[in-house]
Amino acid sequence: MIEVSHLTKHYPGRVAVDDVSFAVSPGEIVGFLGPNGAGKSTTMRILAGYLPATGGVVRVADHDVAEEPIEVRRRIGYLPENCPLYGEMRVDEYLRFRARLKGVPRAKVPARIVEVKERCGIADVGNRIIGQLSKGYRQRVGLAETLVHDPDLLILDEPTIGLDPNQIRLVRGLIAELAERHTILLSTHILSEVEMTCKRVLIIHKGRIVASDTPDRLRRRMTGEASVIAEIAGPRGEVEPALRGISGVADVQAEGGDAWVRYMLRAPRDEDPRPAIAALAAQRGWPLRELHREAATLEDIFVNLTQTDEAEAQP
Amino acid sequence: MNGFLAVWRKELTGYFLSPAAYIVTIFFLIVMGAIFSLLVSVLAEGPAGVTVMNLLFGSPFFWMTMLALVPALTMRLFAEEKRSGTIETLMTAPVTDTAVVLAKFAGALSFYAFMWTPTLIYLFILRYFSADMAPPDPGPLAGGYLGALLIGMFYLSIGLFCSALTSNQIVAAITTFAAMLLLFLAGLLDYVARGDLVQAVSAHLSSYSHMLEFSRGAIDSRPVVYYLSGTALMLFATVKIVEARNWK
Repeated sequence: MIEVSHLTKHYPGRVAVDDVSFAVSPGEIVGFLGPNGAGKSTTMRILAGYLPATGGVVRVADHDVAEEPIEVRRRIGYLPENCPLYGEMRVDEYLRFRARLKGVPRAKVPARIVEVKERCGIADVGNRIIGQLSKGYRQRVGLAETLVHDPDLLILDEPTIGLDPNQIRLVRGLIAELAERHTILLSTHILSEVEMTCKRVLIIHKGRIVASDTPDRLRRRMTGEASVIAEIAGPRGEVEPALRGISGVADVQAEGGDAWVRYMLRAPRDEDPRPAIAALAAQRGWPLRELHREAATLEDIFVNLTQTDEAEAQP
Repeated sequence: MNGFLAVWRKELTGYFLSPAAYIVTIFFLIVMGAIFSLLVSVLAEGPAGVTVMNLLFGSPFFWMTMLALVPALTMRLFAEEKRSGTIETLMTAPVTDTAVVLAKFAGALSFYAFMWTPTLIYLFILRYFSADMAPPDPGPLAGGYLGALLIGMFYLSIGLFCSALTSNQIVAAITTFAAMLLLFLAGLLDYVARGDLVQAVSAHLSSYSHMLEFSRGAIDSRPVVYYLSGTALMLFATVKIVEARNWK
């Protein structure tokens, strides 16, 4: 559905996108992740045909974006960052305008509008003026607009930015539903969003793709140490050395009050000291009320990939 | 073509959704009404040396109104889209840059033409209520409205161009006003300047004297070509400015 090869975009004095190649196959839902200013929006604008690339080839739905922009635009629904809408129009008016603009035949327009409003949960605000709607509703009007010509591909630039947690959940649910029928490329810097909605993650940093995999596999690929948290009530002077004695435990840090002390242990990822800790506590008669291992989150991966030097971060 | 029609319709209805357009229309009709009432009082004194249309379209009040009205109609066209970011959704719809520019121009021109329609009532009033007066000749009548349309086209295209240059409506309005005023004043040099060349150039640019000619019923091809080619040039330049995002 999307084939990007050696895409480069220069702005005066800086490189926004640097030799990026990736592909998205039909039916996929791909998360485009990166810190602010990493080149997410620029890449999406190029995909949508708003900006031209400095170099490289971008094909969307089997058409070259640079050579057949109109054909490409017919097949995509693009929601720019911050979801720009005409504030003075009514929701129905806006959707009718966009449907006609996108070449939906006149006779089919009313049915399409009813359908997208239904799917995006805005059936009850058709007569309202867009400027008076809440941010969550506006976001859904924007999504409805991207769907109005039933495109094969949706490109959504930060679709949940600026929403409150309830609205984020609604929009995220909506995107998950849309994924059943459309290929979706969505950008975000909210990591939990990607973990919940996307089958595959592209991490972009300083204009380069630094990782492309499923969230699960990315997590597994993380090497290094894991931390284990144990909360034990016992004499600190005795517990700490005993924990250090467990094989594989590299470092122990203690914090907390008189009765319950929270120990943070570092251990190699392939060793799990938890059974040994539980056995130790039982054997010595120390009450143990919490024991868990902190799995590497996408956040760790993200921080790891985007804060180290580019050379090290290359997969 | 669908894209052109959709944008044209949106732009035209957009005027009816904005209070600014109503204010401009009311302002325009008040001024035209005042000019008409002056005209009636002139006619009441007896046969006048000039044609009725000459009085209607040749008035300085009319020109002052034109200079204020065009920026108000055009400042929004591109500047507002750029400010709110909707330019991005507009330009990623399956429609060419040229179609968008032409549709916005057509929208503004349609509203401009709509503003003029109530003035047709004046002609009926003249025709049916003045007993001793011959009805307005069709020549000056057609010429006057053709002149208003041609000059309106050129000025609106200047306004559209200025609106495409900036994301600030005020800046767009001021630039449009300045450009139109410059052109208009250059035309008046004909009356005040010395030097044959300056006067000759100025006479070709003078919308004021063009309008007097048109409303006399004399339709010279030179001003017609001037306004049409000027409009084409400004529209072409606007398309280039809109495409200019591609050069960055």
